[in-house]
Amino acid sequence: MPYSFTQIEKDRSRTIAWVFSSLIVFYFLTGWVIALLVKNYNLIADAEPVENFTPALLTLPETLTALVIALAVAGVHWLVSVQGMVERILRVLQAEPLNPKDTHHQMLANIIEEVSVATGGRSITGVVVPTPAMNAFALSDFGGQAIIGVTEGLLGRLNRAQLEAVVGHEAAHVVSEDCTTTTVTTALFGLINGLLNAVTIGLRGSGRSSSRSRGGNGFVVFLLLVYFILAVTRLVSLLFNMFISRQREYRADAIAVRLTRDPLSLAQALYIISSRWRGGGMAGEELEALFITNPRFSQLDESEGFFSELFSTHPPVEKRIQVLLDMARTDVKTLEESVKGQETHSRQDVPLPGPVLAKRWLVNQNGAWTGPFTLSQLATLQGLGPNTWVKPSGSETVIEASDDQDINSLLKEGGGRVQGSMLCPRCQVPLTEMAYEGTLVAKCSSCGGTLVAENDVQRILVRREVGFSDRVAHLAGLLQRNRVPASPGLNLRSANLSPCPHCPSPKPKMIHMLYTMAYPVEIDRCLTCGFLWFDRDELEVLQYLIEKRVAPV
Amino acid sequence: MIGWVILGLLALAVLYCVGIYNSLVSLRENVKNGWSQIDVQLKRRHDLIPNLVETAKGYMAHERGTLEAVIKARQLAVDASGLKDRMAAENALTGTLRSLFAVAENYPNLKADAQMRQIHEELTSTENKIAFARQYYNDEVNRLNVAVQSFPQNFVAQMGGFSKADFFEIKDAAEKDVPQVKF
Repeated sequence: MPYSFTQIEKDRSRTIAWVFSSLIVFYFLTGWVIALLVKNYNLIADAEPVENFTPALLTLPETLTALVIALAVAGVHWLVSVQGMVERILRVLQAEPLNPKDTHHQMLANIIEEVSVATGGRSITGVVVPTPAMNAFALSDFGGQAIIGVTEGLLGRLNRAQLEAVVGHEAAHVVSEDCTTTTVTTALFGLINGLLNAVTIGLRGSGRSSSRSRGGNGFVVFLLLVYFILAVTRLVSLLFNMFISRQREYRADAIAVRLTRDPLSLAQALYIISSRWRGGGMAGEELEALFITNPRFSQLDESEGFFSELFSTHPPVEKRIQVLLDMARTDVKTLEESVKGQETHSRQDVPLPGPVLAKRWLVNQNGAWTGPFTLSQLATLQGLGPNTWVKPSGSETVIEASDDQDINSLLKEGGGRVQGSMLCPRCQVPLTEMAYEGTLVAKCSSCGGTLVAENDVQRILVRREVGFSDRVAHLAGLLQRNRVPASPGLNLRSANLSPCPHCPSPKPKMIHMLYTMAYPVEIDRCLTCGFLWFDRDELEVLQYLIEKRVAPV
Repeated sequence: MIGWVILGLLALAVLYCVGIYNSLVSLRENVKNGWSQIDVQLKRRHDLIPNLVETAKGYMAHERGTLEAVIKARQLAVDASGLKDRMAAENALTGTLRSLFAVAENYPNLKADAQMRQIHEELTSTENKIAFARQYYNDEVNRLNVAVQSFPQNFVAQMGGFSKADFFEIKDAAEKDVPQVKF
C-alpha cells in the first residue's frame, strides 16, 4: 500500500492548524498596525507645537492586548465561518439535490455509490449545479459529511467511464480528507470577500458626497485605513492559497486511478473539460480551490516555477493529462482521436408520446371497439367504468377495465387526478408526462407541444441523447436563413394560448417571445413560474441550433 | 537503575506489541467489511435478474436459450456456498449476462425500451460495484497477508491467531489490468 491513511490524517490536522494560526497572525498584525496608527495619530493631535511630535511604537502590554483581541476575533471568525459551511457554499453555488426521476441524475447517483464502494464504503452525497459549464467539486466538513457536485454540462457531455473517473477524482479528495482544508479555507475566504465587497460598494456609494461635507484629516485617515485593510486582506487571501497545494490535484488524480483503474478516461475527461467553458463568471467562481479544474483561465496555474508552485491552486492541465497518459501507456494523439469519435455516438430518435412509451387500450363502447386511447385520454372518456371491456393494444385478450392495473388505479383515484393533471394550452387535452433527454417533460399527444420547467430546459439543452431528423435540420436551416421577426422579444399580439397549465389558479397568461436573439425560436413563457411551452418541433429546433453552434472538442 | 531501564524497555516492547495487535485487528475488520460489501452487491444482482429476464422476454422470444441460461446461472449462484464455489458460480453468471446483452444489441426495440434501459443501467452499476468491492477486498486481503507474514508482526499474528485470507479471484480476459501509479 503506497498510501498510508494515518499519514494523510496527520497532514490534514496540521494544515488546518496552520490555517487557523495564520488567521490569528493576520488579525494580530492588522490590529497591531491599526493600534500603532491610532496611537501616533493621537500623538500628532496632542503635540503642541507639531514639531515636538516623536513617533512611538506600542508598549508590551498594548501588544499583548492586541494579541488577545486578535485571538478572540480569529476565534469568532473561525466559528462563524465553519458553522454550516457546507450548506453555505452549496447555496452560493446554487447546487440542487439529485432528482431520482431524472435518468442522468440516477446514473450519477449510481456512479457515486460505485466509487463509494471502491473506497470501502465512505458515504457520499451527490448534488448537481444547473449550468452548462463543465466542472466538478467536492466538499466535506469535520462531522464527516461529504458531498460531490457535478455541473449539468459535465453530466450531459461526458460518457459513463469519464464521469466515473471525475467522481473518482473528487472521491479521492474526500477520502484523503484534503477537501476539508479547502472547504474551510474557502469558507473563511467567502466571508472575507463578502465583507470586502460590502465595504468597497459602501465607499463607492457614500464616498463622493460625504468627503466634501465632512472633509478634514479624520476622514482621510479613515479612507486610507480602509484601503490599507483592503490591500492587506487581498494579499492575505492570495497567501491563503499557499495552504492549498497544487500537489493535491496530482495526488487526487493518482488516488482516482487507484480507485477506478481507468487513467485513460480521467485523461479524456480532463481534456474535454479543459477545452470547454469551465464556469468562469458563474456564481461561485472565486471558490476555485474546490473544483477539479480552475473555472477561470489562470496564467499562474498553467505555469511552473517557485511562485506558481506556491500560490496557484491547480497544476497545469497539460501536465496532469501527461501523467495520466503515462499511466495508461498512450500518447496525446490517441487521446485526441478517441475524444473526437465520442461526439458522433449513436443517437436515439426523438421519443413520441406514442406506443413505445405510453400503453394504449381499445375500449368497447356500446358494442363497438374504439380507440386506441392512452391513459390520459381514457381519463376523459365518457362511460368508462370498472366493468367496461378493454383490450390492451397488441394483445388479443379482452379484460374488464378493473383487471388492468393502470386503468384500475386511474378509476380509483377518480376525477381528482384528471383535474390535477395539466391540460395542453392549445388543445385542452391532458398532457402526458414522459422522459425526454433523461428529464421529465409534459407532452401533448395531440398537437406535439411540450411544457418544460425552466431549469429542465438548461438540462435538455446540454444533453445529447436524442438525434434529430432531417426535418428538424431543415426547419432550423430555414429559421437561420430568414432570421427575422420584425419586433423580436415580447410579441403580445399572437398570445393566443390558454393560461399557464402549471400555475395554480388564477392562472397567469403565457407570454409569446423568442428564446433569445441568437436563437430566434418562438416560445411561450409563463413569467410567474418560469415554465416554457414549445410548440411541435420548436424544442428540437432550439436544441439543434445550439448543438450546431457549440464547436466540437 | 538497570532494573528500571529493563522494566522501561519491557513496557515499550509490550506497548509496541499492543500497537501491532490493534493494527492487525483493524486490517482483519477491513477484510470482513470488504467481503460483506461484495456479498451485498452479489445479492443485489440476483434480485435484479428476474426483472431483466421478464422485460427482455417480451422482445426476444427467439432467444429462449440465452434467457434460460441466465436464469439457470442465477439459481446456481444463489445456491452456491463456500468461497470457491461462489466465485465459480458468480463468474459463470457474469458470462451469461454478458452474452445476453450482446444478443440484445440485435433488438433495437428492446434497447429503446425505457424500462430495459433502466435495468441495464442498474445492472451496469451493480457489475461495477461488484468489481470495485472485489478490488477493495483484494487490496485489504493483500495488506493483511503482507502484515501477517512480515517480521516482526508475524509473531504477534501467530499469538493472536491471525491468518492469511483468500483473494476473490476472477478468470476473465476482459479485466482491466492494474495501471502503474506514480506521482
